[in-house]
Amino acid sequence: MVNIHIKSAWDHMRRSPFQALAAVFALTNTFFVITVLSVIVFASNQVIKYFETRPQIIAFLKDDATNERVSDLQNKLESDTRISKVVYVSKEEALEIYKKATSDNPLLSELVSPAIFPASIEVQVNDLVHADSLIGEIKQDEIVEQVGFTASLGSEATLGEVLQKLRNLTLYLRIGGGVFALMLVSTSFLVLIIIIGMRITTRRGEIEILDLIGATPGFIRKPILWEATLYSLIGVFAGWLAGFVVVLYVTPNLVSYFGDIPFLPRDTFELAKLFGLILFGEMFVGLLLAISGSILAVSRVKKR
Amino acid sequence: MLKINQVSKTFGDIKALDDVSFQVSDGEFVFLTGPSGAGKTTLLRLVLRELFPDEGEIVLEDVDITKLKRKDIPKLRQKIGVVFQDFKVLPERTVKENVEVALAVINLSRKDWKARIDHVLKLVGLEERGDLFPSQLSGGELQRVSLARALVVNPRIILADEPTGNLDWDTADKIMDLFEKISAEGKTILMATHHKLIINKLKKRIIELSEGKVVRDTGVKKLSPSQNTREASKESMTGSSVSEDKRKSKNFKSKESIKT
Repeated sequence: MVNIHIKSAWDHMRRSPFQALAAVFALTNTFFVITVLSVIVFASNQVIKYFETRPQIIAFLKDDATNERVSDLQNKLESDTRISKVVYVSKEEALEIYKKATSDNPLLSELVSPAIFPASIEVQVNDLVHADSLIGEIKQDEIVEQVGFTASLGSEATLGEVLQKLRNLTLYLRIGGGVFALMLVSTSFLVLIIIIGMRITTRRGEIEILDLIGATPGFIRKPILWEATLYSLIGVFAGWLAGFVVVLYVTPNLVSYFGDIPFLPRDTFELAKLFGLILFGEMFVGLLLAISGSILAVSRVKKR
Repeated sequence: MLKINQVSKTFGDIKALDDVSFQVSDGEFVFLTGPSGAGKTTLLRLVLRELFPDEGEIVLEDVDITKLKRKDIPKLRQKIGVVFQDFKVLPERTVKENVEVALAVINLSRKDWKARIDHVLKLVGLEERGDLFPSQLSGGELQRVSLARALVVNPRIILADEPTGNLDWDTADKIMDLFEKISAEGKTILMATHHKLIINKLKKRIIELSEGKVVRDTGVKKLSPSQNTREASKESMTGSSVSEDKRKSKNFKSKESIKT
């Protein structure tokens, strides 16, 4: 048997469908935008993380470099506090990487042998500001043939600039998105207050009767609270679902654009976890809106 | 059951009630009568703690309700069944739902609802109208819904404010028959009315108010403030009610007179 307060709230929604739709649409729009923004912020963070964890400096070694000398250089770099990671890539490993990269055209890999690939040491720096000085130092070493960047992305001169641009973009996205989301949340909050306020005004007679037959303030407030909660939950779920569908729809195009960059989790469970977290957060915000909105509306109507 | 002791209430310069004192015993049916503006409704609203008296005390079941805290008012009202002249039924709920609301208010377990609702609807003759909305009912039926809602919570006292005021004589007569039936079941009723025909027909105790003062009480002789205090202390010392004895003897007499 449905709780009398939920039934009461549902009846009020059915009897004024346009007010209910206005509230639900406002909340749906808000949470749709919040869902999409959350995914964009997550994806941009993933892109930054991807670039940040790429080896930024590659020291190609001379063919006559002895193992001992290579080891010395590796140890020297590993002990450097500006460096977070050092990886030695042998000629054979370089060939494997090449084969993997050209797997769609096996002919290319058949014609090459490990001898033509130089061994290298890949270096990842803590902060890109150190990259220039490190490159200069590494170049000084006798066994180093050439030093390269994984930079030169698009028209950017260095990876640092690319990353800085990405960071700025993410920051603007966060600030702009946050402000936009806040505006939408505020609008939804106002719509909710107005609709609940109207509902209380039309229910004034009923509230008076309930008061006279001994209903507690909590009893009188409960259907109002339930109504606001129902608006919020429906709005949150609809907005989240719309956002989820849109993201799933555009993901194939984005995957082909971004290639190897894992801007969204590839694992289904991880993806479900991400959207589950977004839904959970939105439910929390939605409930907060419903509770605070209805309490505020009740107190405002009481003052009149 | 209910003791009104030296109660006064003013609205600005208007004295709505002036030093009103009387008692209503358990199971008693009392008419509160008098012309419009005599203070009948004000008195009922004071008992319901809708209003607060300027002076005096109102004791319901040994609790001075003038001293009740705001948060305890709902508990008081849950003990009182109220019937209004304008019915005050919830227009968007069916007859059954109107009655259910009262049970939800007192937080009665749902499993007990059906038996209680069936009983009261049968008592007021609305067992076939349970699923109808107020807009589908006549004035008399609406008053029955109001009465059913008041009764279903098994109140200690029923306050009725001009319950027949909006009804024609025949319907009013039927409603009064219902009140009499309820009274016969032992419920205490305090009814404000100026319907002389009804008052004369039922031959119950009458408390008449005029300009905020009790000018006639056919049941109990009006007590002076000092007598009131003495009576109250006597009651508390002996543990029995003097007025209760009076009521029993009066009720017996009135039952006898109805029979004859």
